[in-house]
Amino acid sequence: MTRANIELGNVTPHNIKQLKQLNSVVFPVSYNDKFYKDVLEAGELAKLAYYNDIVVGAVCCRIDTSEKSRRLYIMTLGCLYPYRRLGIGTMMVQHVLNYVEQDGNFDSIFLHVQVNNEGAIDFYKKFGFEIVETKKHYYKRIEPADAHVLQKNLRKVDQVNGTH
Amino acid sequence: MPSSNPLPPKENALFKRILRCYEQKQYKNGLKFAKQILSNPKFTEHGETLAMKGLTLNCLGRKEEAYEHVRKGLRNDLRSHVCWHVYGLLQRSDKKYDEAIKCYRNALKWEKDNIQILRDLSLLQIQMRDLEGYRDTRYQLLMLRPTQRASWIGYAMSFHLLEDYKNALNILETFLDQQQKGNNYDYEHSELLLYQNLVIQESGELQQALMHLENSQDQIVDKLTLKENLGDLNLRLQRYEKAARYYEELIRRNPENTFYYKKLIEARQLTDTYDILNFYTEYAELYPRAMPPQRLPLNIATDDQFVKLVDKYLRKGLRKGVPPLFVDLRSLYSDKGKVEAIEDLMMQYADALKQIGKFNASEVNNGPKEPASALLWVYYYLAQHFDYLEQTNRALIYIDAAIEHTPTLIELYVTKGRIYKHAGDPQEAFKWLDEAQGLDTADRYINSKCAKYMLRANNVREAEETCAKFTREGVSAMENLNEMQCMWFQTECALAYQRLGKYGEALKKCHEIDRHFSEIIEDQFDFHTYCMRKMTLRSYVGLLRLEDVLRGHPFYFKAARCAIEVYLHLFDEPLKDENAEQELSTGRTLLLF
Repeated sequence: MTRANIELGNVTPHNIKQLKQLNSVVFPVSYNDKFYKDVLEAGELAKLAYYNDIVVGAVCCRIDTSEKSRRLYIMTLGCLYPYRRLGIGTMMVQHVLNYVEQDGNFDSIFLHVQVNNEGAIDFYKKFGFEIVETKKHYYKRIEPADAHVLQKNLRKVDQVNGTH
Repeated sequence: MPSSNPLPPKENALFKRILRCYEQKQYKNGLKFAKQILSNPKFTEHGETLAMKGLTLNCLGRKEEAYEHVRKGLRNDLRSHVCWHVYGLLQRSDKKYDEAIKCYRNALKWEKDNIQILRDLSLLQIQMRDLEGYRDTRYQLLMLRPTQRASWIGYAMSFHLLEDYKNALNILETFLDQQQKGNNYDYEHSELLLYQNLVIQESGELQQALMHLENSQDQIVDKLTLKENLGDLNLRLQRYEKAARYYEELIRRNPENTFYYKKLIEARQLTDTYDILNFYTEYAELYPRAMPPQRLPLNIATDDQFVKLVDKYLRKGLRKGVPPLFVDLRSLYSDKGKVEAIEDLMMQYADALKQIGKFNASEVNNGPKEPASALLWVYYYLAQHFDYLEQTNRALIYIDAAIEHTPTLIELYVTKGRIYKHAGDPQEAFKWLDEAQGLDTADRYINSKCAKYMLRANNVREAEETCAKFTREGVSAMENLNEMQCMWFQTECALAYQRLGKYGEALKKCHEIDRHFSEIIEDQFDFHTYCMRKMTLRSYVGLLRLEDVLRGHPFYFKAARCAIEVYLHLFDEPLKDENAEQELSTGRTLLLF
């Protein structure tokens, strides 16, 4: 592929409609206003991905403190169809990994994925995510409704080379 | 000639203080001193004091009182140059220039060598383009102040503007002869020489102009203008080799200037298409990043040669993602063959990119794939291509394909709107521009475009609200846009009101635009002194010539046509009911301004 310029940018009140537009075509689920309101407050946890200056992908996370642990939850991470397999997803995951590493205080990163989405499952496995649980009827209006929980444990690594 | 009613020393001192207060803008104090003189029963009617009081009042915004006092003062002392001068200044501040000139002339009758009055008079004369009067006044100023640089320049320029080049050049030369002593050549000196050269060129003596420029090379610091002029003069004098050398140098300075390439071709006397194409190839190799050697040959190449070149050009633009690619090539569309060639190539790109990610299906195995955005830009181009050819349906098919491919690219929605606009559906057009605007609310260009489309759809209020996102807070957008002389907005507003039959409102907008033009002419005033002082004479002459044809500007034409149409319509079909009458009167009062 001819070299292209890929970079991440911030989500702002000015361009948030681009994020909505993107999510509406990438995901079968639609997100409510609260989701986008929170995204605007999320700072580095929400990013747009630019391919040759065009918005083609986005990642949105939040910090989850349920179950007595501090975990990073990837709410959405997606890329427009024609721009897949070009390293844009990797860049966004890498951004998330860098974020939790710099923070240093996360137990794990996790996300949900539709059970039949093999592409996504393989993709996350590359980064050390594992299926830790399968939730029945996780999705309401799409088929299949079951979701795997993919998780990457962060503490173990910390304990191995504790000087990190 | 002194006042017919001179003041005794004490009062005279007070009067001088009024003058000083006026110069230093201490108007309140000025009034105080005036009161001290006028409260003396002997001097209640003192003309010059009354006049100065009036002038001071004018500066405080009390115009009516100002006129009253100044006129009364003048009546009491008709032989005072001060009273006449003050009356002139007052009229000038009221933009009654003809009247002001008459007053200054009267003032000079009583005091013919007053520098200040002569200067004020000369400013009004140049502003009003009384060039002969200007020349005479500049002559008097030169006689009175022969050591001042501005005296010479002003006098020379008066001849230049009268197209009396011989006298203009004589004066400049005499002045420069006295000047050239030291060797401290600065920017101002350099500008003066370039101005002198401009006058020689305009006199038609090209040979002489070239010699003058060559001889002054070392003293001219504006090297770009110097080289451009040297190139131009050599070319006009058919000294082709020398001209070519200057244009080669200019291209080296700035390889993006298309004009230099055209001139260099002239200088090299290339007329054959084949030779010119070779010339561009040579320069494309010399400056691989420069656009003109790649774009310009497309204008002259034909048939297979054209296809070869445009293929390369298109691929480069699509690969990089150059949004204005179509606009860049649109001028080629006057040639039907070229349109077809481009269309064929684009169709081929679309197919091949879809199938194998390359621009050509036969290139399956060689080299890397094109960027994922290339197909998007092909769709985008084809949409504009078919829109231009008035094939609305095909244009829509491609813009929809582009939006499906990359629904986050804002330009696509703008183009979709534009297609509807061209097809005659302003409502649908504005809907798509609104969509585009929503995707990036920080983009003022899109915001303005959206407002314009709203106006085309006759939604004046919505347009104003849209613009308000970028205008100053706390002021109504309409007001702010008027203050900023945002003429495209006001013209479109006028046209929208005209379509809506709100003729009063339409005329109001047209007259606002007319006022902008008056203001631009007005603003010249500051430059008459400023440019002379700063020696930016070439720009100054350029400004004067621009102002002379200012109302020939398309913005003015558009607004004037709207106003004329509305007035004609109102003449043919006068309004009848009361509300409408009221509406019309808003327009009429404006006419009186």
